[in-house]
Parts: sequence; C-alpha cells; structure tokens
Amino acid sequence: MRVVAIIVGLALFLIAPQVLPEFRLFQVCLIAATALVVLGQAVVTGFAGQISLAQSAFVGLGGYGAAILTSSWGLPLWIAIPVTAVVVGCVGFVLGQATLRVSGHYLALATMAFSAIVQLALIHWDSLTGGASGMPVPTLQIFGYNFSTGRDLYYIVLPITAVLFVMTANIMHSRFGRGLTALRQSETAAEAMGLDVLRYKAVAFAASGFLGAIGGGLLALLSTYLDPAQFSITQAVYFLAVAVVGGLLSVGGVIASSALFVLLPELLQSFQSYLGLVFALLLLGFVVVRPDGLASVVHIAGFAKGPRSRETP
Amino acid sequence: MSTPLLCIREVAVRFGGIVALDGVSLDVASESIHAVIGPNGAGKSTLLNVVTGLYRPAAGAVSLAGEKIDGRSPHRIGRMGVARTFQNTELFGDMTALENVMVGLDRHHAYGILSGLTHAGSYSSAESAARMEAESLLELVGLSGQMEVKAATLPFGNQRRLEIARALATRPRLLLLDEPAAGLRAAEIEELNRILLKLRAELGLTILVIDHVMPLVMAISDRISVLNFGRKIADGEPEYVRKVPDVIKAYLGDRADHAFGA
Repeated sequence: MRVVAIIVGLALFLIAPQVLPEFRLFQVCLIAATALVVLGQAVVTGFAGQISLAQSAFVGLGGYGAAILTSSWGLPLWIAIPVTAVVVGCVGFVLGQATLRVSGHYLALATMAFSAIVQLALIHWDSLTGGASGMPVPTLQIFGYNFSTGRDLYYIVLPITAVLFVMTANIMHSRFGRGLTALRQSETAAEAMGLDVLRYKAVAFAASGFLGAIGGGLLALLSTYLDPAQFSITQAVYFLAVAVVGGLLSVGGVIASSALFVLLPELLQSFQSYLGLVFALLLLGFVVVRPDGLASVVHIAGFAKGPRSRETP
Repeated sequence: MSTPLLCIREVAVRFGGIVALDGVSLDVASESIHAVIGPNGAGKSTLLNVVTGLYRPAAGAVSLAGEKIDGRSPHRIGRMGVARTFQNTELFGDMTALENVMVGLDRHHAYGILSGLTHAGSYSSAESAARMEAESLLELVGLSGQMEVKAATLPFGNQRRLEIARALATRPRLLLLDEPAAGLRAAEIEELNRILLKLRAELGLTILVIDHVMPLVMAISDRISVLNFGRKIADGEPEYVRKVPDVIKAYLGDRADHAFGA
C-alpha cells in the first residue's frame, strides 16, 4: 500500500510538469507552500490543542529572514531559508515557553500580540526590511542555475513539502505524537504520567514556527516581493481558518484545504470583492456542520485519518 | 514494619479561608496497601493532590523514599515513581486502550527525535517493545480483549481498570487510587480487590487508596487512616480503626456495621 502510494506520487510529480502550463505549476507550488504553513498551524492548534495566531508572524519572519540573509549577508538563499527556519523555530519555542502559562482566549491574545509586534517591526525597521514599501526577494540560485519560474520552483517546493509532510506524519505516529495527543485530551493525566506538558507544547510551537518559516521562505520565492501588509493579524486568522477547514488533525485535510483556499479566488473571480465573505461562510459552515473539517468529507484513503486511528503496521 | 515509602509530615493546605488539610501526618509502609477514608470534604482528595504535586502545601513536607517531593511539579513526581488514577477517570478518551497505556510506557522505551521523524533507527524495536509491555499490562487488569477499543467507549468499570493499567505503565513505586470503587458493582469491586492484591504480590507495589467503599478498604488494607475536617482522627489496622468511637461517630454514623459490610 505504501509502496503503491510512493510510486503513484512520484509518477504524478514527474508527469505534472509535462502536462500542466506554467501558471498551474505556479499554483501547485503556492498550494504546497501554503500547506506547509498550515501544517505548522495544525501541529500547534490541532495536535497540541493550543490556539495560536502567530502563524503569519512566523511566515513573515521566514520570508524576510531569508531575503535579508541573502541580500545583506550574501548567504545563498537555499541555505538562508533553512537557517532562518531554525532560528524562527527557536523563536517559536521561546514564545511557547513565555505564553503557554496561559491558555484559551488569553493564549490567542498573547500570540496575536506577537503577530502585531512582528508586523510593526517589519514596517518600522526600514534599514533592514525596506519599511512599509517592502523589499524584493533575491532569485534562488543553486550551483549557478536560476530558479525563477513556477516550473523551476516546482522541483524545489514540492520535494521539500513532501519530505516535511512525511516527517510530520511520522512524528505524529511516534511517542512524541502520542504525548501530544494525550495532553490535548487531559493535561492533568498527561502530567501524572510524567509528561512535561509545557515542554511538549513549547516544542509544538517551535515546530509551527519552523514549518511556518520554511513555508514563508518558499512563499517569498514564489511572490518575489515581500510586503509587510501580507503578514497581518488578518492573515494569521486566515491560516487558522484554512487549518480548521482542513480538520486540524489530518495531514491530508491540510493539503485539501490549502488547495481549496488557493484555488477558490480564481473560481470566484467575478465575486472578487465578496471573497472574504465566502471564506468566512466556508469557515462557519465547517465549524457548525463538519467540525472535523475536510478530512471527514474527503477521506483520502488512509491519509486523511488522524493519527489516533492508525492501524497496526 | 519496614521503612515507610511515603512520608507525609504535618501537611496543611488552605483554599482562601478554608482549611482543607490541617497538619496531617501519614506514613505509608513499603509494599503495603494503605487506605485513607473519611466523609466527603474530609480532605482525602486534597491529600492525594498534594502527594502528586497538583497542590502545594502551605506547610509541612512530603517525601518519597527519603526524597523531598513537595514543591515539585506533577510530571517530576510522576517520573520519581508516583502514579495515580482519578476519581472521575481522566483517560485519553480518543485514544485506544493500548495507546493510553503506551503513553505511560514511552519514557521507558525511548528513541530520539530523529528516529521519530524518519521511523528509522530504534523506532520499530522501541515501539514494538512498548506495545508488548502495554499488552501484558492490559492482560494483567483483564482488558486483553479490548486493546483496540477507544477509551471513551469502554464501560465504566473497564475504564477504571484501564486507568490502573495506564498508571502501572509508568512503572511506579507508589500507586495512588482515588476512589477506585466508586460507581462499581459488588462483583466489580471484588475483581478490583483481586487485581490490587495481585499487583502487590507480583510487582511489589505500594498502594495508597482513597475510598468510601468499606468492603474494598476493609478487605485488602493493611492499614487505614481516617480523615475528618482536614484532620487525622484515627490510624491503624482495619480491626482497630473500625472500633474507634470517633471514627464511628464522625464517619460511619449509627449504622456502622451495615457500612462496614461485615
């Protein structure tokens, strides 16, 4: 079963560039990078059960960090993106340690404040970030080859996304994921079992920071320009909404929901000004009717299932 | 009597103006079954929450095998070998019985984060070792037929057993049971007694049980301490405790013989 999935996936990956036009490949990249960001959200909000509105800040830090390291420090972009992501992961860990003493609404507010601070820093630290007018993202160059089109970036973005998704799915099916699942359901019992609950939650924040920053770096490559307006609290709510519609506990749901949210604007071109309303209704509909999200509708064989219902290997 | 495993010394707990525990001292001997009884609001659960680190005592000290545990966080106390069950059960409801138990075992079958990310290295061997130990613990409490059942869908009596198995998974020295017999039928209580005696015999566990239900407490306890309004009013062997006039008055009322289920 797993071998078949790998072969089919590889075949699709290799065939797509032959049949899809540049614009579609760009969209595929956009979906993949968005899915990485939303995966980070799902790890912290779904698996660890902590409401976070910090994802847009992680994405912004990831994009700006990589661009600044490359344009000001001369680091190759393909090194700058992972280095930035590790740093942002550490930021996430510290943010988690600092904010996780509160929970629920208060945690949402604390992470929202973090997002606001990051956006303000991006706007006002002119010398580094270009201020309110933003900054261009250097072209990705690996061994002298320029990756600038959607077709080029496809071969970068897709494998990175695939590897990180597999790793996240793996970790959720390990003792670490079991610990997270446990503490989400009863912190008191998890602590009594010897789990360091605060540490687990902080590591989940670190993972969301790392994934958000990688996704942010890739999104920056795709958009080629960073504008601080992209990293607002509204955007944080957007990522949370995509995660909720995806189902929060399903890796497959994250992909399906990201695809939906990236493709919808195109399908609804004539309703462009009502797009926010459509997203809001979509979110409301899922919360009320299908709280388990797209994952409970789509049922991508074996993949859309949460980590809890895994069969014996 | 051997040296006590758990020492509670002059512990006091206050919630605002209410004194929940007022200078309670208690010794739990190694490999004994020790019961704490008392009417509602006597401070039994508070005492248990002090031992597991959920509450910090305002005064007094708690030590496990000579090591101070008061003031430590619950997960540290858990790692030192104190495991517990909960009065209203606190299972991980969406997880299967097996997974519930494995959460406690994971610390003893550890592998690194890299193995977790890639499922390479010691992942498979550690996971299957944890799974096998979890299976044998579920067998021990008589749940071998329900390993893949979600904890929340188990009948209540089985949820209690699962809590015991899950607590055992941490490989504790001291097992704390918070009203393990509440809501159980007579036959289930007998089965629970049998399991507890077996645990002590086979694993050398020390068990501190808090309960109302007299048949359980009287039948298996080596020693009983009685709390009333946050104070200890009696302490001794079951035969002694049941005859103390204060106990009969404070707790058992006029129908003492009936309550003891003799």
